[in-house]
Amino acid sequence: MDLSRADRSARLDALAAAYALGTLGYRTRRRLAAVARRDSVVAASLRTWEWRLAALTDGAPGVTPSPRVWERIRSRLGFDDASAVAGASAAGWWSSLPLWRGLAVAGLALAIALGISLLAPRERPFESIVVVLAGTDAKPALIATAERDGRYLIVKAVTNLRIAPDRALELWMLPDGRPPQSLGLVAATGIERVPLRSAAGVTLENIPALAVSLEPAGGSPTGAPTGPVLYTGRVERTY
Amino acid sequence: MPTPAVDTDRSARLVDLLARTALSDQAAFAELYRLTAPHLYGVGLRILREPALAEDLLQEVFVNVWHHAGSYSAAKAKPQTWLSSIMRNRCLDQLRRRELDTVSMTRDGDEVEMELAAVGPTPEELLVSGADANSVRSCIEGLEGGQRQAIALAFVQGLSHAELADHLRQPLGTVKSWVRRGLERLKKCLDAAGFAV
Repeated sequence: MDLSRADRSARLDALAAAYALGTLGYRTRRRLAAVARRDSVVAASLRTWEWRLAALTDGAPGVTPSPRVWERIRSRLGFDDASAVAGASAAGWWSSLPLWRGLAVAGLALAIALGISLLAPRERPFESIVVVLAGTDAKPALIATAERDGRYLIVKAVTNLRIAPDRALELWMLPDGRPPQSLGLVAATGIERVPLRSAAGVTLENIPALAVSLEPAGGSPTGAPTGPVLYTGRVERTY
Repeated sequence: MPTPAVDTDRSARLVDLLARTALSDQAAFAELYRLTAPHLYGVGLRILREPALAEDLLQEVFVNVWHHAGSYSAAKAKPQTWLSSIMRNRCLDQLRRRELDTVSMTRDGDEVEMELAAVGPTPEELLVSGADANSVRSCIEGLEGGQRQAIALAFVQGLSHAELADHLRQPLGTVKSWVRRGLERLKKCLDAAGFAV
């Protein structure tokens, strides 16, 4: 190709824009990336477009990945145990001590009152699921709400929960007689939206309670709670 | 929507964590993961639409970041932008390579669509609400409808030109020109707004 400098610059700019936008096919992408490794002008053009466009979605909402991702990263990098908490006992606290059973949690009336004020008005305001998660002092710490057919739980920290920067709060379902199942990590402040695999009414069917445990950053490395259980709450349904 | 002050604080924190990561500080790296993995996973999920695959690439990206954190230059890009670009490129490479291997595309199954609907807003809403500065947002809103929609779908969900044409029910040439003109306009608007890159 014999292009004048201005033409070449315009072509390069268009190509770099398409690369950053992601519309180029695989071979063109690879070729352009390879050229950029040797040619600093091409590289700069790609980076400029990438950053220009990345700014468009830097504030977009995130989705908390499964805790197993962090565990795999740790294990691939051969990290020592300092980045995880000491392992749980073989049996786990949930099998020996069903602590949520006799737990004094906020009553259903409170749960409904809080839940409904958290949910936007809907056609069926009472088809809700509300869980008030409280510590041993019975003071609500987190409130989880969902619409019965919704695909996520809204988890709101009622107070500013202070946790160390290298720790995370992980939310668990406590099925009767079986090990807890992770729902993902929740924020210690503000509101977190925890995505569910199916409608909340289905996911939480036969789940009597939820619990929150303190885990290393990224979540439990074992797939079961490893840290202390900070809060528990009964799953209350308004339908 | 983060306020500029919070955003600056966060960026400064991430720059610090990346610097510590470059010095093999595991705790800093864990914190970096905690703060940025949800955003990157969201990027991957929207492009790949397969949680397992998005998880794999997220893992690759962070293993890479651990080894190459030293190559990050705060003078050139905000830390989150740098990380998002790495994630986006991995995801797009993966997506486009698979397209070479498969004749028919099955990424738009109903189940996946439902999953995406549950995860959040439409690509256009995301582009408008996700823009982290007023100037950027007004530039996106200044695009013509078709241009904005095409760019949002391509950028957020990784649609190719052919998929865009299919999705928007427009001839390929029209879609290509929407994208090209939209990008030109976006660039002019961003540059005029003094959006530094």
